[in-house]
Amino acid sequence: MAQLTKRGLIAAVVCSDTFMKLGSAQAKVFGVPDLPLLKIQHPLGGLNMDKVRERAAVALPQLLTLLKEQQS
Amino acid sequence: MSTLSSMLEAPGALLECDDDPEAVYEFLCAKGLSDGLPVIPPTPERVERMLAYCDRDFDKPVAQIPPRFGAATPIRIASNAVMAGCKPEYFPLVMLAIEALAEEPYNLYGTQATTHPCTPMLIFNGPIANEVGINAGQNAMGNYFRANAAIGRAVRLALVNIGAAIPGIGDMATAGTPAKFTFCVAENEAASPWDPLHVELGFPKEASTVTVIAAEGPHNINDHESITAEGILMMAAGTMTITGSNNAYYVGQPCVAFGPEHAQTIAGDGLSKADVKKWLFERATLPMSRFSKEGIERRFRRKLSDQYASAPLDAPVRMVATPEDLIVIVTGGAGKHSAYIPTFGNTRAVTRALKRCDGELVKSIAELKRG
Repeated sequence: MAQLTKRGLIAAVVCSDTFMKLGSAQAKVFGVPDLPLLKIQHPLGGLNMDKVRERAAVALPQLLTLLKEQQS
Repeated sequence: MSTLSSMLEAPGALLECDDDPEAVYEFLCAKGLSDGLPVIPPTPERVERMLAYCDRDFDKPVAQIPPRFGAATPIRIASNAVMAGCKPEYFPLVMLAIEALAEEPYNLYGTQATTHPCTPMLIFNGPIANEVGINAGQNAMGNYFRANAAIGRAVRLALVNIGAAIPGIGDMATAGTPAKFTFCVAENEAASPWDPLHVELGFPKEASTVTVIAAEGPHNINDHESITAEGILMMAAGTMTITGSNNAYYVGQPCVAFGPEHAQTIAGDGLSKADVKKWLFERATLPMSRFSKEGIERRFRRKLSDQYASAPLDAPVRMVATPEDLIVIVTGGAGKHSAYIPTFGNTRAVTRALKRCDGELVKSIAELKRG
């Protein structure tokens, strides 16, 4: 994602709340401190499809907001 | 090359605190520069003594340690070696291990940040392990021996203090492993009936090497009854076959560390190390039905579909992808115990030989002493 951002594309990382500190630190390390992290509830692994859809429903509006902001 | 004194004049190079041991301990823990245990304060004088065994530029990184990708310079590594309790002559081995960990196949980024409880297992081969006193005999994987304790600890401290493998931020291990304090052994080459690991890998016998493995803690293989190779290997295969192992899913290289008595019994029946690997590759298998219904469907049927999409439920799940992927060493002393060391899985073992900066193999650690 850092590479995509550096190439001028709109990029973001879906990140569970437990991993937000790691995600944020890594964005800085890779030179894209403002890389958007789309925050969802932990965990993502080991879920049934209904729970995965719940996470997607939380991430999607964040993604749409990001796209609108970046394109305006 | 910059001098040590000029490096110490750089902003932030020195931290000051009360020189009382408890105050130093509190200070470093508060800074997060710690593994939680007391350390030797890394004063400039002690760091300088450590660097007496360094033939590189003190400020030139030998690796970048993730997840921070901090620059692992000799001076920084030396600070951690002092903190860990290393003798100066251990220092080249600490640097060697860090260089090996930074090689891409090891996957240091993944192993540092993962939820899996892995940590570098350092296996030393060759004459220098014995010269500096790395224990390969009784209690080789345990406590008491300074070189094993301090070299492994120095590497771990560097991973935290330079690489920022800080629990909950850069090290996401669910529960981790006590092996994260130190996990450093030498192969008991004198007691092994087979070629040592480094010779098997093509290094000269007189080379001194480290092999790094992204390891779980050791799982014991107790076998006081078997008096044949087949019996001991059957017990080893039983210990290797565990459903919760990453090695059931990935092509990592787990390790079987035979105690010398088990190794002698196996070799006494005429089995070479290659025979042992083939035997365990073929028999260290679980039927897929031993895994959960969800595991079969999600892991095997979908993610590993090329192998298991339509496989029967009794299809064998192997703990190593090829016989050669199994690492076999001999370590420890008397007794009817061996050990199985599973790995992170998505990793390869890396072996490096200790060389001088001119590329020649180091025959004695004294060759690296400056002045």
